[in-house]
Amino acid sequence: MADPVLAAMVHAMGATESRHYAAVKPVIQAYRASWVKLAPYRDGAVNSQRVTVSDPAAMTAQIKAKAAELGADMVGVCRLQPHMIDLGSEVPHEFVIACCVAEDYEKVTQGADAVEEEAMRSYAKCTEIATYLAAHIRAMGFPARAHHNGASEVQAIPIFYQVGFGELGRHGSLINEKYGASFRPGFVTTDLPLVEDQPHEFGVQDFCMNCNVCQRNCPGDAIPQNHVMTLGIKRWLIDLEKCYPYSRLRDEYCHLCVDVCPYIVKSHPETYRAFMKERKQVGYKTPKTY
Amino acid sequence: MEKLYVNAIRPDGEVSTVGLFYSRAEAEKIVAMLRDIPEQAECRYEIVEAARHLLSDRQAESILRMRTDL
Repeated sequence: MADPVLAAMVHAMGATESRHYAAVKPVIQAYRASWVKLAPYRDGAVNSQRVTVSDPAAMTAQIKAKAAELGADMVGVCRLQPHMIDLGSEVPHEFVIACCVAEDYEKVTQGADAVEEEAMRSYAKCTEIATYLAAHIRAMGFPARAHHNGASEVQAIPIFYQVGFGELGRHGSLINEKYGASFRPGFVTTDLPLVEDQPHEFGVQDFCMNCNVCQRNCPGDAIPQNHVMTLGIKRWLIDLEKCYPYSRLRDEYCHLCVDVCPYIVKSHPETYRAFMKERKQVGYKTPKTY
Repeated sequence: MEKLYVNAIRPDGEVSTVGLFYSRAEAEKIVAMLRDIPEQAECRYEIVEAARHLLSDRQAESILRMRTDL
C-alpha cells in the first residue's frame, strides 16, 4: 500500500487491505484493470524520422484537436516545472499536456455506487487518451510519456492551475468554471514544441473563503476552516485521518465534497438544486441559498 | 495520529506550507528531499505540530447519524 496514512489506519484496524478496495465491484475492478494494463505502454520507442515543427501554435492546435478526438473535454499545455513533478522523480521533458474528462453529474442522483463508477470510467478514459496521445507524439519523432492512474510522476493540481483549468478550492480539488470539480485527469509530458496556456482565475479562492458548503457536508469533518499559503496560493489541507474512514475504510465511495460544490450549478442547475435539497433533508448543514 | 506541517521559509521570510504529514519520519523525509532540489536550496524548513482537532458533541453525533445515511 503506497499511502502511508491509509496503511497505518488499515493496520490499526487489524486488516491488510482498505475495506473499500477489498469490497470493490466487478465493474470498478474492470476499470482499474484497464489502467494497469495500459501502464507498460505509457512510454516507448520514438520514431527516428522527426516531423518538422515550424509553427508551435499550429502544432498545439493539432494536439488539442487530437486529444478532443480521443475524448478529452478539456486540453491545456504548460511548461513542466519542478513543483509539478513528484518529489524524488525525474521527468526529462519540457512541456506537459493536461487532458480532462468530465464526470456525468447526473449520476449523483443515483447514489454512491453510480458516482464511483462514473469517477472510475472518467479515470479509465483519461488513461486511454493520455496513452494514445503519447504514442501519437512519439510517432511524430518526439519523446512523450503518459501519466495516469496506472503510473504517474506528475502532480495534477499545479499543472491544472498553470494550464488555466481553474483554481484550487477549499475541498482540495481544482475548480473549473464549467465542470466544477467534477472531472478527472490524464497527462502527457513531452519535448514536442508547443505553446503554453495561461492560468485562469475567476474568483474561486475568494469564494471558497465564505462558501463552506463542502466543509459543512463532509461526513468526516475533514475539510478545515483555515487555510495555509503555498507559493502565494491558499490551500485548505484535507485531514486524511478524518477523510479516509468515509472514503477508504467503508464499502461505499465518498465523493460528496465534489458533488456539493456550487460551481457545478451553472452547468447542472436542476440536478444540483435537487441534490442539495436531498442533502438538507438528511440533516446535512447545507445553506438555504443552495 | 501525529499531524505536522512542513513549512519552507525563504530568505526574505516568506513562509510557504509544503503540506500536512502524519509522522515525523515522513515529514523529515520530505524535508531531506526538498533540500536536495537546487531551486529550494536557499530555503530553510520547519516542522510544526498541527493543532489537534477535537470534535464537539454535536459534530460527533452528526457524524454517527451520517454513517447510516450514506
